[in-house]
Amino acid sequence: MNVLEVEALHAYYGKSHILHGISFHVQEGEIVTLLGRNGAGKTTTLRALMGLMPSREGQVQLFGEVTTGWPADRVAATGVGYVPEGRRIFANLSIEENLKVPFERGGPWTLERIYDLFPSLRARRQSKGRQLSGGEQEMLAIARALMLNPRFLMLDEPSQGLAPLIVQEVFNVIVNMRREGIAVLLVEQNVRAAVTIADRACVLDDGRMVFEGPAEEFARDEARIRALAGASAEKWEADE
Amino acid sequence: MTQQVLFSVFNGLIIGAFYALMALGLSLILNLSGVINFAHGGFLAIGAYLAYTLIPYLGFWGALAVAPLLTAAIGLLVERLLIRRLYGRDPLYSLLLTFGLAFVLEDGTRYIWGPSSLPFEIPHWLATPLSSDFFFLTGYRLFMMLLVCAAVAILFLVLNRTRLGMRIRAGSGDLEMVSALGVNVRLLRNVNFGLGIYMAGLAGVLAAGMLGLQPTIGSVLIMPSFVAIIVGGLGSLPGTLLGGLLIGVTSGVVTVFFPSASEAVIYVMMGVVLLVRPHGLLGEEGRIQ
Repeated sequence: MNVLEVEALHAYYGKSHILHGISFHVQEGEIVTLLGRNGAGKTTTLRALMGLMPSREGQVQLFGEVTTGWPADRVAATGVGYVPEGRRIFANLSIEENLKVPFERGGPWTLERIYDLFPSLRARRQSKGRQLSGGEQEMLAIARALMLNPRFLMLDEPSQGLAPLIVQEVFNVIVNMRREGIAVLLVEQNVRAAVTIADRACVLDDGRMVFEGPAEEFARDEARIRALAGASAEKWEADE
Repeated sequence: MTQQVLFSVFNGLIIGAFYALMALGLSLILNLSGVINFAHGGFLAIGAYLAYTLIPYLGFWGALAVAPLLTAAIGLLVERLLIRRLYGRDPLYSLLLTFGLAFVLEDGTRYIWGPSSLPFEIPHWLATPLSSDFFFLTGYRLFMMLLVCAAVAILFLVLNRTRLGMRIRAGSGDLEMVSALGVNVRLLRNVNFGLGIYMAGLAGVLAAGMLGLQPTIGSVLIMPSFVAIIVGGLGSLPGTLLGGLLIGVTSGVVTVFFPSASEAVIYVMMGVVLLVRPHGLLGEEGRIQ
């Protein structure tokens, strides 16, 4: 079964046309990474899927249900976890309070289980969101999305601004999600890291889908990776 | 002299408690919905007059329990039918709407209950002074202070201990993110508006017992309540509480020494606070929007 099926999706910011009819899908139990340069439309794609873009055309299906035009809370309540760009932690709430905001769908993820997965969050459960480091914020953003008990998780550049070691930790968590049976759509600038954990890769360019295929195939295509990642690919190699 | 100062401090605290109760409701609505509710004073008047109408049937205590709830119910309806339509637009629209609504509510009370003052009966044992030295300390005033304290304490418990409260606080910073976590933010804003209006209604019943009933009962309290929010710091509910009490006491004390400045002083205070701490006493600098 397809968790997500997108058909000819268009999206606009005011008068500027950002997505030009993209189509792709995410199957149950797989990690799909959505790649592309800055401004290619990756974040817009996630926002449109989430129901956060007011003007759009085309069709979005989640878990076999057409959700085009639904408000974000209704989309999320079907079981879609969203980890946004910049994390958007509630700064004036403590870690534990942040975890209590999501709608309670019910399921295996409880506060206890979240803390077992992220022990550093348990240790700082009373700390306010604004006091957390970038890595802790990213973990909290993922934990918060899990509290909804999602069947499908969308992450927008989870590695942004994090030290390589923390990035590794975050990616381990994402791989873990697949084992938990949660399908993942991962937007990343860190192309190399993303294609190592993903099953399939989709590449956006200027609001159009220019590649869709096995991540392995993409990982072997050095020229393509370099063209896409530019400076950040060099940096990733240097870090390794 | 000491007695006079004590009297005015106590008076100031009571007036400040009203400001705080009003201002907390205003703050809740402003923080989550971005609406400056000029009609808040109108809702306060509705609460007071509803209590007046209910007293013959339910007695003072019954009216005190029911009138704020009815006021909140009207608030829920107004949010659902009118205010909701203007979310996400230029704040000027909702400002105009609530400004107009303030007139409608005030003239509505005038139309239904008449333009002249009405007596508002409180239980006799509450109305008598507790001692002759402190003539101003009537049981009603003490009771009012206690009730306001209890209401504020319950509000803060709700905001800090319940999921509803956490969602309201989270949404005040980033409502879109709250909706992306599956929370029905239309309902959240509706309930939050009702909560704010409930407090206006409660303030109305209490104010009526002290000041008597006239249609302008709300409009004299609303400007100082806005000042309380600004002095305390936009976005901070403890700040709003502090701001309300502070301007109440200040204006109370100034009444002793320079009566004609008792109203002006709160605006002077606001000016000074804005010059020294532009984000208010407890306002959060660079709050995430």
